[in-house]
Amino acid sequence: MGPSNIRDLLTTFSPSLDFFAISSGDGRIKIWDTLKGQVQTEFADIISTDTTNLYSKPERGHLSVDYTCLKWLSLDSKKKRKLRCSLLVLGTGSGDVLALDVSAGELKWRIGDCHPGGVSAISCSTDGSCIYAAGADGMISKIDSSAGNLLGKFRASTKAISSMSVSSDGKVLATAAAQLKILNSSDHKKIQKFSGHPGAVRCMIFTDDGEYILSSAIGERYIAVWRIDGSKKQSASCVLAMEHPAVFLDSRCIDNGDTDKSGLYVLAISEIGVCYFWYAKNMEDLRNTKPTKVSVSLEDNFSKNHKGSLPTIFAAKLQGVVKPASGDVFVAYGSLVKPSFQKVIVHSGTDIKINISQDGILLPMDQSHKSKKGLGVKDGVTALDRANAEEALLPIPKIFDFHEKNKRYQNSNIDPDEIMADDLMNVRSQNKAVESKDGLESVEASNETSCLEEQLRSLGLLDNKDDLTSNSMLNSRKFKGISLEENMPPKKMRAAVSSIIPGDAYELLKVLVTMWQSRSCSGNYVLPWIYTILVNHSQHIVSQEPVTQLLDSLHQSTKSRGTAVQSLLQLSGGLQLVMAQIDKASQNISQIQHGHQVDESEDEEEEVEDVLYGEEDDESQISSDNDD
Amino acid sequence: MIKGGKSLVSSPPVFSNDAKKLLVCTGCTVSIFSTSTSLQITELEGHTALVTSVVVVPAFTPSSKILCYCWTSSLDGTVRYWDFSLPELMKTVDIRLPIFSMVIPGILSQLAETDGKTPNLFAYLSVENTKIQDDQPKVHRKILKCNLTKSRLAAGVILAETQQPELITISSSGKFFGVRNKRKLHVWEVIAHDHEGAPIKKITLHHTKNLTVFAFHPTERIVAAGDVTGRILIWRSFGRRTFSMGDGLMNGRAMNNEDERPGVRGDDDADSCATWHWHSAEVKVLSFSSDGAYLFSGGKEGVLVFWQLDTGKKKFLPRIGSPLLYFATSLDPSLSSVSCSDNRIHLLKMPSMEILKSISGIKLPCSFPEIYEGLHSRFIFDQTAGLVAFRTENYCIQFYSLFDDRENFEVQICERNHQPSDDVTVVVTLMVLSPDGSMMSTAETKFPEEGLGGLVCLKFWTSGSQSKGFILSTIIYEPHRDAGISAIAFHPTRHMAVSSSYGGDFKIWACSHEIQQRDQTLQNSGWTCHAVGSYKRKPMTAATFSADGSVLAIAAETVITIWDPEKNVLVAVIGETLEPITMLSFIGKSEYLVSASRGSKSQLSLWSLSKLSESWSYKLQAEAVACVMDGSYFAVLTLLPRSSKHTELTETKIDGRDGAILLFNVGEPIPVTTWFVKKAKGGGLAFIHVNSASFKGNVSDGKLPPALLAYINGNHEYVLFNPYNLEAHEPSMVVREKPVGIEDETGKFGYASIYGALPEFDAKRNQTELAPLLPSEKPWETIFCGSSHNLPPITKLCSAFLESLLEKRTPVISD
Repeated sequence: MGPSNIRDLLTTFSPSLDFFAISSGDGRIKIWDTLKGQVQTEFADIISTDTTNLYSKPERGHLSVDYTCLKWLSLDSKKKRKLRCSLLVLGTGSGDVLALDVSAGELKWRIGDCHPGGVSAISCSTDGSCIYAAGADGMISKIDSSAGNLLGKFRASTKAISSMSVSSDGKVLATAAAQLKILNSSDHKKIQKFSGHPGAVRCMIFTDDGEYILSSAIGERYIAVWRIDGSKKQSASCVLAMEHPAVFLDSRCIDNGDTDKSGLYVLAISEIGVCYFWYAKNMEDLRNTKPTKVSVSLEDNFSKNHKGSLPTIFAAKLQGVVKPASGDVFVAYGSLVKPSFQKVIVHSGTDIKINISQDGILLPMDQSHKSKKGLGVKDGVTALDRANAEEALLPIPKIFDFHEKNKRYQNSNIDPDEIMADDLMNVRSQNKAVESKDGLESVEASNETSCLEEQLRSLGLLDNKDDLTSNSMLNSRKFKGISLEENMPPKKMRAAVSSIIPGDAYELLKVLVTMWQSRSCSGNYVLPWIYTILVNHSQHIVSQEPVTQLLDSLHQSTKSRGTAVQSLLQLSGGLQLVMAQIDKASQNISQIQHGHQVDESEDEEEEVEDVLYGEEDDESQISSDNDD
Repeated sequence: MIKGGKSLVSSPPVFSNDAKKLLVCTGCTVSIFSTSTSLQITELEGHTALVTSVVVVPAFTPSSKILCYCWTSSLDGTVRYWDFSLPELMKTVDIRLPIFSMVIPGILSQLAETDGKTPNLFAYLSVENTKIQDDQPKVHRKILKCNLTKSRLAAGVILAETQQPELITISSSGKFFGVRNKRKLHVWEVIAHDHEGAPIKKITLHHTKNLTVFAFHPTERIVAAGDVTGRILIWRSFGRRTFSMGDGLMNGRAMNNEDERPGVRGDDDADSCATWHWHSAEVKVLSFSSDGAYLFSGGKEGVLVFWQLDTGKKKFLPRIGSPLLYFATSLDPSLSSVSCSDNRIHLLKMPSMEILKSISGIKLPCSFPEIYEGLHSRFIFDQTAGLVAFRTENYCIQFYSLFDDRENFEVQICERNHQPSDDVTVVVTLMVLSPDGSMMSTAETKFPEEGLGGLVCLKFWTSGSQSKGFILSTIIYEPHRDAGISAIAFHPTRHMAVSSSYGGDFKIWACSHEIQQRDQTLQNSGWTCHAVGSYKRKPMTAATFSADGSVLAIAAETVITIWDPEKNVLVAVIGETLEPITMLSFIGKSEYLVSASRGSKSQLSLWSLSKLSESWSYKLQAEAVACVMDGSYFAVLTLLPRSSKHTELTETKIDGRDGAILLFNVGEPIPVTTWFVKKAKGGGLAFIHVNSASFKGNVSDGKLPPALLAYINGNHEYVLFNPYNLEAHEPSMVVREKPVGIEDETGKFGYASIYGALPEFDAKRNQTELAPLLPSEKPWETIFCGSSHNLPPITKLCSAFLESLLEKRTPVISD
């Protein structure tokens, strides 16, 4: 499991990346489900499986096999469903080539002693129709993948072949012995020869388009890129430096019409489990490109002197290219006992660290998750109870909106009273018990909810005509004909009030009283309305049960204000005198008007007096007095 | 097109002769799994309806054990013969009646046959007669005999008629088969040389309770039956009087003494009847071991019980976790399988009773109390990762990968152990995934016990490491006091969510990313309440954020309120629908908002935010609405109206399809495309983003569609298809039609109710010969519905209104 062990690992992803096969040298092959991160199945001791005895179970392998190479390919020639028959082709140190049908869990075919001295490499083209295997005997054999027949065998080198690869279209073979040789796969003619690596080549691949070969040898801290053009040139066209020797290579070359994404993408894993990623527009640029690294870092609670090995990235696959200069890389990382799988999007130039947690290695996935959650409730999880939820909300909207509302009141001319009334009504209905002393407070509290609607109206978006049904809105519609701020002749006022049905008039009265008490609207405007309503709908209002309370409060406030009237009048008289002295030429018209209005209302009062009952009479008198 | 989500437990699975393969009925196909790896090997494709039974032709010599032949029967009315190693269809027998169950006794007892001329092979089928008219209230389910060799039904042989389609059970020797019929058990004996007109002897065994399942002993004349109360009855030496005595199995007590028949009811033909009782609920699984020494039983408790037949001693395999449905033994004595109702098949190692492997599929729908069946709560989709998530029975949410057709992970929502037989006390009512899939929110309701202790919880989850699973981040008890949560919605870009309640308020929650990590615990990312809002104390029934997150739309019963979520400012109110709105969604980045309401006047409406008004509405019951993230299309899954006019005319065409998927462009009220689908009730719909990696080589033309439409039906079967490709081959689950008048004619408002459909729309309607537009009975009821701006000018309205009155009166006069 140590970092050094990555070298001896055999790993491969299934073509559709939903499974991952790993063999760590003990002769067993584990198939991991990359989606769930669980072991799907395990192959051990395949060779001793006796196919004649139907019911015998393969024993846990004591006769382990020394696998040397591993390749997963899918057979999709006829059927649409390619997942169904995927083969895992294995080469052994004793020279056998095996194919496992992964989904059936069976040995599909086996070629014994294909390459005496050991199979060193297995490769196949993308369609998977035939497999090439190379061995230490310098031969390359061509195998039919579906049945396991040996189709042909030829000598590619006098020395042992250390690595071999087939281009994606299956037409060109590359072998690495002492030299790097490029062969035509059909007639085995040599196309090109390169100087090659001094040591044994560990991995070698073709790019998608078959124009380049990437290779890296044991102990060499670089990847060599060779260009296949048929020329006599023997040296590598480009060298990509790494800090540690590479154990795995993958590349993607996109040069189709999509100019944004086009370029060369190269992926490599070094011996210590760090993933390198290069991207360049073309080969010339690739030479100067700095690699982007993907590495695994431990969560800090994990002690460094832990006996086990450090987690590494041990397999990766370049899945595709999403954006220019960045690739989708599917990596398997962590410990070999419990690898984790993740799709990482690598952008060229930004190094990535994958965090890894150590849970779930000894425990099955689900249990560890549960126990963690149990702990989480204690420390990591925030819990809010009923009161908490309520407390958290209050400060922010209330203060903020209240101020805003006040400002808006001062400079908005879109009759806010109407909305106010509407909302006050809501508040009223909620806090019936709230007495007039608390009234001010309750109104303030409500403002913060009310101003939301008000603001929207100020934005001119909310139109009352749209929602006709809602009950409280009906009331607000009742205001329609009434604009409080306007100076209306009392007759019109009376006409408007008398057109209101008694129930609504009562509601309106309540609103107006609250408004007046809260001083949200000038008494100048409100009081005539209160008066008119009291006059016109006295019968109904008296019949309402809580009206006495309402009227009481009205009475009290009028009284309290009434006491101040005398002194106010004196003050205003004094002021008037001063004003008149200061500005003799022009008298304040509003003052006159004001006085005039008072007169009028007094007239009305006299007119009506015989109609009213005592209590209302009283009220209206005071209220009208109060108007001054 | 990708299909998946099949049920593995619709019918009992069958082992192949070498016990290396397991044949499982999965919808219209038979999937063959390897028992050693539990991966699917291949599939038998050919049936057009649900496959109901598989019969593997048994092997009698060791050399023939590798032969892989099987018969399958299906609801499409055919019996097919396969070589399942290749796999290849060999023969089809068309019965033309839906087959619920099939047994073939002949192939089980061919030991004595010589190699000469093969005799006719007979199958016994449980069918439903569909061609009977409604005026005959007879039972339509019959047990029939079929000559498979000559591909015809045996004339005039009706063995029994049952109320329900019944599963035929056969003994492993092929000598007896039977069906249960309420409180009775009918058992037939198969004679050695069967021919078409051969008389078949029958006995009936009675019980006082409804029987649920029964099994034959492999060698002796013993039949075991389970009933709804959990009792297991063992009848020994049944049919000794009636059936032939030639087999010499029971030659011991030939005396037929009436007194010595303990437990046998009435005149039943059995020697004794013993009763075992361990199960508390109905017995669903009953099977004898292949040597006949043990009886396996199971039921709702999720415990497999092994009874030693002679002594009645028990062994248990507990903690399977889900009600058991079927038990299958293989010819390999050490391997058997048990199917569970959570769509799993466990392969058991026999004497030690350990689970070797599990084959698991998508979790099947489970029933929840009706009041908690919200519209939004059934399925949630991770559009980028291609995941669907839904509630499972054991308080979990299963995340299922649509592209891979495999479970991704499960998240346990409540800290509560699941016992299949327990009463449900907690229900996960809502679940919502943030658009990037990194956060999840769930709401759960604990039922009050005797009026006390009901609790509503809101939970926020963040995705765990490697995007596997979710970790609880915040739990909020009673977020809206006692009121239930009606909807949760995530802000598309920020860590913000809104929850609306029936109690009349909504709360905006924000995830505080405080960087006080030094003194506090690591990444204390708790959610706190950011703002509260309400609109006239009306119940808030649905909520959604716009694509850029700047606008929050919340339905206050019948009106839609538009808010600025940051400042908590009400911006506008749009009204109104006839019934409370249950679903709201912005359509991509457009200014349109789609709403769906349910109830007697269910309605699907499109609202324009720029005009603050309704664009159009249909009287449709929308099951699900899906919108493209960056586009102007949206798709609606609706249930077809059950009006009699429609069904008669379209029955043949629609054939069992009860729903339709309508694809709309926001600009137009006429659907771009319509697909008819089956089992739409309880279905879900979503647009799934496609990236090249997840959508492997399945693209034929090499061009990736922008998004696939995923439809998941009430049985959790799903299909992904490209909604924009009009030339696409038809998915069998989904049938495309020309745009036709799905839109119910009574549901139009304003313009449409008076003038009917638009002209071009009419033309298409005529082409497809659907129900003509009938004037509704009372047009004045709908004429004036809808917003005033939708109504035509009063001059036109008036004449139309009067005309409608006249129309109404004519029939009255003629009468």
